[in-house]
Amino acid sequence: MSWVQATLLARGLCRAWGGICGAALTGTSISRVPHQLPQGLHCSAAAHSSEQSLVSSPPEPRQRPTKALVPYEDLFGQAPSGERDKASFLQAVQKFGEHSVRKRGHVDFIYLALRKMREYGVERDLAVYNQLLDIFPKEVFRPRNIIQRIFVHYPRQQECGIAVLEQMESHGVMPNKETEFLLIQIFGRKSYPMLKLLRLKLWFPRFMNINPFPVPRDLSQDPVELATFGLRHMEPDLSARVTVYQVPSPKDSTGAADPPQPHIVGIQSPDQQAALARHNPARPIFVEGPFSLWLRNKCVYYHILRADLLPPEERVRWGWHHPEGWNLYYPMQLDLEYSRSAWDDYEFDINEVEEGPVFAMCMAGAHDQATLAKWIQGLQKTNPTLAQIPVVFRLTGATGELHTSSAGLEEPLPPEDREEDDSLQRQQQGQS
Amino acid sequence: MALFHKVLRGTYILRKCSKPTSALHPFLGIRFADYSSSLQKPVASPGKASSQRKTEGGLQGHHQKEVALDITSPEEKPDVSFDKAIRDEVMDHFRRLKDEIVNHWKGPEGRPLQEALLEQAKVVWHFRGKEDLDKWRVTSDKTIGGRSEVFLKMGKNNQSALLYGTLSSEAPQDGESARSGYCAMISRIPRGAFERKLSYDWSQFNTLYLRVRGDGRPWMVNIKEDTDFLQRTNQMYSYFMFTRGGPYWQEVKIPFSKFFFSNRGRIRDVQHELLLDKISSIGFTLADKVDGPFFLEIDFIGVFTDPAHTEEFAYENSPELNPRLFK
Repeated sequence: MSWVQATLLARGLCRAWGGICGAALTGTSISRVPHQLPQGLHCSAAAHSSEQSLVSSPPEPRQRPTKALVPYEDLFGQAPSGERDKASFLQAVQKFGEHSVRKRGHVDFIYLALRKMREYGVERDLAVYNQLLDIFPKEVFRPRNIIQRIFVHYPRQQECGIAVLEQMESHGVMPNKETEFLLIQIFGRKSYPMLKLLRLKLWFPRFMNINPFPVPRDLSQDPVELATFGLRHMEPDLSARVTVYQVPSPKDSTGAADPPQPHIVGIQSPDQQAALARHNPARPIFVEGPFSLWLRNKCVYYHILRADLLPPEERVRWGWHHPEGWNLYYPMQLDLEYSRSAWDDYEFDINEVEEGPVFAMCMAGAHDQATLAKWIQGLQKTNPTLAQIPVVFRLTGATGELHTSSAGLEEPLPPEDREEDDSLQRQQQGQS
Repeated sequence: MALFHKVLRGTYILRKCSKPTSALHPFLGIRFADYSSSLQKPVASPGKASSQRKTEGGLQGHHQKEVALDITSPEEKPDVSFDKAIRDEVMDHFRRLKDEIVNHWKGPEGRPLQEALLEQAKVVWHFRGKEDLDKWRVTSDKTIGGRSEVFLKMGKNNQSALLYGTLSSEAPQDGESARSGYCAMISRIPRGAFERKLSYDWSQFNTLYLRVRGDGRPWMVNIKEDTDFLQRTNQMYSYFMFTRGGPYWQEVKIPFSKFFFSNRGRIRDVQHELLLDKISSIGFTLADKVDGPFFLEIDFIGVFTDPAHTEEFAYENSPELNPRLFK
């Protein structure tokens, strides 16, 4: 064997050890920090494409049709008229199988297919992943004797199998029995892809249901339903009522005379209603917003109606009220603490942040004062006292995604209650 | 001994002037980056530090503001010498050492033993002022070339801390990272006299308590143990914290038995429970692969004993993955 062949072999072996040892032995990844990325995974694909570019850059004497830089990419581009969906993806996969019985270059094809999955929208489809694993020739990569078992048998293919499982893991796809059977057929029971499958089967069920506020994967795109779901997500009170004040007008191509009206959905619980009824009309209430709420990967914005914190002298003392049937003979209210003994103290000795009460929340399509004024008008139907209370709009800019610290507006703004006949005069205090 | 004194002098030079000049001490050339990142503001009193900085002559852009504000009047001569500053620092450290030794006689951390033993709820970090923010540092994937940004500031009315920024999962084009996009807020390791590393002892508590207000994103809480004897830089115990979003404050209780062990970002096969007697730092990470702005408001972080929680450890080891444990 010449020295060139020897160095190439040595380099390949080094990469094999480094790749497998780096990636497979360290278990399932939980965080997205790419500390340990195997060299092998990227060396093989990158090296191949660089070789291709080196080959195709010098002008060739013969007229050749321009080759794609990545091999087999034309397989994916062969249905430009058709939309990119699962059927065309599977068709491309099948076409690769028809090329040769020996499935030459299947590793590169699988890496390319993994990259293309997101475009075709199939990254969370388990059947597609199983089809992708099906591309591997079966029974070839299984180790047959102890020497093959000691040294990583077919390291590039094992890395490729791990890459498929890693993409499944990062999209939260749970493998099933078919995946397990395929991996046993392809790599054998003691291989690294099989180990990774074991880890997926161990850790996924442990973390599947730990979210106390789950958001379904397929959220509806309808804005009213999204707003309803979002408002219910935020409001801990289960007896709160969601009201749709305005339905978005359908967008027709004729171009209606009035501009399309945005949706307005509000939520209010009975406790909040009672608190608003008790609210002192001399103090203003504020419409603050918009604040952002993330539902999986969709960001929606909401506004809140709240009042400032009452100064300490005006706060209601939680004393013992005398009900009507006050009686000297029997205690009308018992204040027993059943669980705690004298030495138990589970309170944190810190004053928690106190903020003013929230009276209602809403999600609207537009964040301007006109839309929110419609919301307030809708709220007035169920809260008649709202008509007497001055409402101040503290709206941030159109892209106010963050909780803005209104440090400059700590003191309550002076309300101007010029009340007209039946509509309320509103003042806008815009913040830049 | 002389070398130790020189090292000590060198460290105090760095503490006094925020600009590390290699001319002062060539020995500490390597550790400059570490110190400059840990220093946000000079610790000494403004009068001494500003005049001392002036006499130093090494002015950075971000110091020019402070120097401009401290305009000394002509009759008052800045009377600070470099040696005096170092002497003050040394005396300060010796005082802290004395306090530590005396407190050890009184009880753990200077509190009487019966108070420390019967304690069932303890506030470890609260955010009521700017000095509370100095106990934390923020990192993002900018260190590896990504595009996420993260900032930490005091929230409304100085009553909470607001961690906000933008997450971007665009991978850096450095040829070795395929994924990216994380932001983290990590607490600084508590230091004692002479900048010794100390640790928290939470062995009588069993639940972590956080009062936060998020925007619906899932966060990860990471706890790191003390690296006194064993090198445990890349090992941490983590669990998820799901925020609800909305204007209401959310109370998150995570029992310590739920934390799983991971090394260099990957869950290990062999899991063991988090031992609470030497905790070095806690951190919050956001890496949910969704691009966009985020915020998290934290009121305080505490630990308490939940009497209803009797679980010791939530994850059992599997004989398929670890046959050697079950021999």
